[in-house]
Amino acid sequence: MQNLVEMRNVTKKFPGVVALKDVNFDIRPGEVHVLLGENGAGKSTLMKILSGAYTPTSGEVIIGGETYDKLTPALSSKLGISIIYQELSVINQLSIQENIFLGKLEEKSVLGIPVVNKAEMLKKTKEYINDIGLDYAPETPVSALRISEKQMVEIAKAVAFNANVIIMDEPTSSLTDEEVNNLFDIIKKLKEEGKGIVYISHKLKEIMQIGDRVSVLKDGAYVGTHDIKDVTIDDLVTMMVGRELENKYQVQKADHQHGGEVVLEVKNLTRKDEYIKDINFVVKKGEILGFSGLVASGRSETMEAIYGAVPIKSGEIILNGKTLKINNTYEALKEGIALVTENRRETGFFHNFSIKENISVAKRLKKAKMSGMWGLIDNKDDVRVAKEQIDAMNVKCASMDQLIVELSGGNQQKVILGKWMASGCKLIIFDEPTKGIDVGTKAEIYKLMRALCDEGIGVIVVSSEMPELLAVCDRILVYYEGKINGEYDIEDATEEKLAYSATVVAE
Amino acid sequence: MSKEAEVRQKALKPKMTFSDFWTKYSTLIIMVIMLIVFGALEPKAFVSTNNLIKIIEQSSITILLACGEFFGILLAGIDLSVGSVMALSGVVSAKLLGAGWGVVPTLLVGVIGFGALVGAINGGLINITGLHPFIITLGTQAIFRGLTVILAQSRPVPAVAFARTFGGKLFGVIPTPIFIALLTAAFLVFFTTKSKAGRNLYAIGGNKKAAWFAGIHVKKHFILAFVISGICASLAGMVNISRLASAEPNAGTGYETFAIASAIIGGTSFFGGIGKIPRVVLGAIIIGIINNGINMVGLSAYYQQIAMGALIIIAVTLDRFFGTSKKSEV
Repeated sequence: MQNLVEMRNVTKKFPGVVALKDVNFDIRPGEVHVLLGENGAGKSTLMKILSGAYTPTSGEVIIGGETYDKLTPALSSKLGISIIYQELSVINQLSIQENIFLGKLEEKSVLGIPVVNKAEMLKKTKEYINDIGLDYAPETPVSALRISEKQMVEIAKAVAFNANVIIMDEPTSSLTDEEVNNLFDIIKKLKEEGKGIVYISHKLKEIMQIGDRVSVLKDGAYVGTHDIKDVTIDDLVTMMVGRELENKYQVQKADHQHGGEVVLEVKNLTRKDEYIKDINFVVKKGEILGFSGLVASGRSETMEAIYGAVPIKSGEIILNGKTLKINNTYEALKEGIALVTENRRETGFFHNFSIKENISVAKRLKKAKMSGMWGLIDNKDDVRVAKEQIDAMNVKCASMDQLIVELSGGNQQKVILGKWMASGCKLIIFDEPTKGIDVGTKAEIYKLMRALCDEGIGVIVVSSEMPELLAVCDRILVYYEGKINGEYDIEDATEEKLAYSATVVAE
Repeated sequence: MSKEAEVRQKALKPKMTFSDFWTKYSTLIIMVIMLIVFGALEPKAFVSTNNLIKIIEQSSITILLACGEFFGILLAGIDLSVGSVMALSGVVSAKLLGAGWGVVPTLLVGVIGFGALVGAINGGLINITGLHPFIITLGTQAIFRGLTVILAQSRPVPAVAFARTFGGKLFGVIPTPIFIALLTAAFLVFFTTKSKAGRNLYAIGGNKKAAWFAGIHVKKHFILAFVISGICASLAGMVNISRLASAEPNAGTGYETFAIASAIIGGTSFFGGIGKIPRVVLGAIIIGIINNGINMVGLSAYYQQIAMGALIIIAVTLDRFFGTSKKSEV
């Protein structure tokens, strides 16, 4: 059978960097071809060449038997290639139907004037969303949908465009386990229809489950392609990292000092919007406390409240024995609370700032008077601190004056961690700290967490990835619909138990 | 760092490209081109020390307004009220002088204090309502203008004391308006590059949500930005009444356009977080050059508008083609 797409000896150079070297990649009909590699390995660049966003420096792309030196986004889309980005590109203000037909509305002719054919679109939309199992009226605005459902709209859109090849970039990074299963059902259906799926993910278990073949990139070079059934998770890690990781996440567990000193105590915390009510928990010295549960179940919402980012109605936050009065994030920072937010691009870094200034921003505020407004910047100190953090976090960059947007996702996250380390915090909350981050960097972040914990700093980890929580935490709390619905010591925590507490209300 | 690593870092650092060069010097290049064009068309009258000083003097009001406007735009917002604030504070100052106040108390209360108050009202309203600065300042622009006319009883208010103090030349050479505008700009250069609050404003402009999550008190900084804008507009009002020796209630009508144009020609990003005061000053001077040059060449004043309008579009287009904004795709 003919390949849907064949990319041969593709090379892409950027000023100062070779992003891809002689990469080969093909897609067969009816298969899920996994593209694997650490952050910055060149996966996105390769897919951007296929979708026409980038022009390759050399090499060729063969689609449907035709050879192309370069593609444009319009041409690529016409040839049946569709890409679903990690940051979804649905338009929230428009309905499901309008999103699906975006840019190619059905037409009919009334008295010779072409007008939008709503009836036809409605009919087709119903078919598409039925096929995909999305239980909404076509006129529903997309803003009313959950992230997983928005993703389904994107898939329906790709199907409506008659895509032969659907590229999915980290499709499960914001999904719960149940939603992932649903997505896999859809993918299987698409396979049966003979479509080729390119699946980009860091979640190795998932890859073993859904993939047919896997191609690995490392530092822009092509490592190889294998059938999934011939490889193990360890093989994949070795290919990707190029070194044997004995234990995937070499994290030392604490010698459980239960009954140890309390770092943070949260009492009867209720948000003004009552998203969460009556939350109680403690973080002890020497332990890493994990928070599990579905997305939007109240985990991140609690952390925002502790950090002063949203107003609270009642409750107490006691840090190292001191009851805090926190009305805004500045006061939280002053008290030594740090929040590594879930979404780097939206709430984590400043795209207009250099690495140096991204690191020094919180440190400066902490030393300043008058709500962080009074005082001059100390450039020497900023440079010293930036250097220190870049070294400590092992950030890969050309210089500290580089803009942060020029770094890969994992390195951006390290810069953000550096920002908080430089601020000197007493409690650090990690919300989805390794989302979209490669295995090597993950291990570094886990080590950092344990080191902080050993220093006596309170460490909280919120994550949707249960293996992550099980690997790093000493105790795990599970949220369900705005309440804590389960608590497990690490010895008796299992994925099954966490999943149960996340979905079934406790007696 | 080992020697080897140092060498590697140097190799990684790319050479200065045309794009980098353009991003750094575009406003200066545009200004030089303007000077050359008008200098070639009118070598005698245009190219003289007197005329060049005159251009900057004529630009001093625009420089002050643009420096204030810069802060509105830096926060991904805008301040449409600068022209009205200029007129209102001018009338208030003139009234204070008329009531027997001295020059210094009037400067502190009627100009700086009043400008700060008006700016705080703008910023406060934005914070309380959560509306976009465009809407709030569109409203206050009209309100302040109405108040000005009522307060002045639609007549010019004499301000001779200001004219005597600020209308002349410093050391007999530099017109005082130039001195006031450049001193203000110099202070703001220092503020935007060296102060914590200044850098926080860039952070908020770049990513308001991230600023909030980094512990920056966003609302207080919004007030600060509009206070600065109010004071700058107020200083522009002071310069204006000093030059005319009276406060006109309809002074500065439509001047917000010049202020916004200066900021934009000076490379300030409308999306917030990017821009520099010196370039905004150059932007204001470029507008002064156009106005003066077209006058010198003997064309009607209407051509000034056409030239300024065209330049806004050209400057931003060139930035899109050559500027580093292109780089962020990589």
